[in-house]
Amino acid sequence: METNGDAIRPTAQEALAALSDAEQVKASATALAATPWPRWFAAALTLYTAAVPPVYGGTLARHDWLLPQGTWSVIMVVMTAAYLSLFVVAASNWRKKTGVALRFDVLPRNVTLPLVIGLPVVLLGSALVFRATREPLWLFAASAVGAATSIAFHLVFVRLHRKAS
Amino acid sequence: MSSPAPDPMDGFDTTIHAPNRLRICALLDTAGEAEFATVQQQLGVSASVLSKHVTVLADAGYVEQRKAVRDTRARVWLRLTRPGRDAYHAHLAALRAIVGS
Repeated sequence: METNGDAIRPTAQEALAALSDAEQVKASATALAATPWPRWFAAALTLYTAAVPPVYGGTLARHDWLLPQGTWSVIMVVMTAAYLSLFVVAASNWRKKTGVALRFDVLPRNVTLPLVIGLPVVLLGSALVFRATREPLWLFAASAVGAATSIAFHLVFVRLHRKAS
Repeated sequence: MSSPAPDPMDGFDTTIHAPNRLRICALLDTAGEAEFATVQQQLGVSASVLSKHVTVLADAGYVEQRKAVRDTRARVWLRLTRPGRDAYHAHLAALRAIVGS
């Protein structure tokens, strides 16, 4: 029977067993928290990430590039609004499915921090470089980097979830 | 004059040490917030057993509950409070100290 733990301190062996038990629960909770996004949202995120450089490049271009600048701006606003709406739906479904809070600190900080800083620099910086050089290759290169990063992160979560389950 | 270093054994917490409560704290510390049914499933205990332990932790100020409606049914979400998180980590430190001593 489980007591309220009335002031009896455990032996080293009991303490070790308690720590191991807590570690086991932690591993199982980590697997839940690392549940990857559904494929439809991973695809939407990849498409959005890949679309940002050319669309933002179009809005920042000194002269009209493929489409009028105003059209690029409208596309940027519409696709961002669509992405955020999908994110709200996906996050809500994710919480319902897993029963735990959505956290952005599941992966180690040395992995996420360079991404949080580096990816926006690449995605938005390419538009500035395009504005300065008029070379669209920068936009497509950034687009490819963004898409590859998004896919890689999805696969990392799939693997982490499988490994921890 | 400097004060002596705190003894890790001071963090030993009899409220947390009961096995199921330690596991509840471990789960909530990792997950941040978890639905009652998920905690029940993860720990493999009945709703009444979990409810009893959650009440003890809540009375100690270690766990807080939030009600949210999902599919027209009220669901209870659990999370560790700041003192609860601190007490849990201090308790783990005490257990490690016991193992190391």
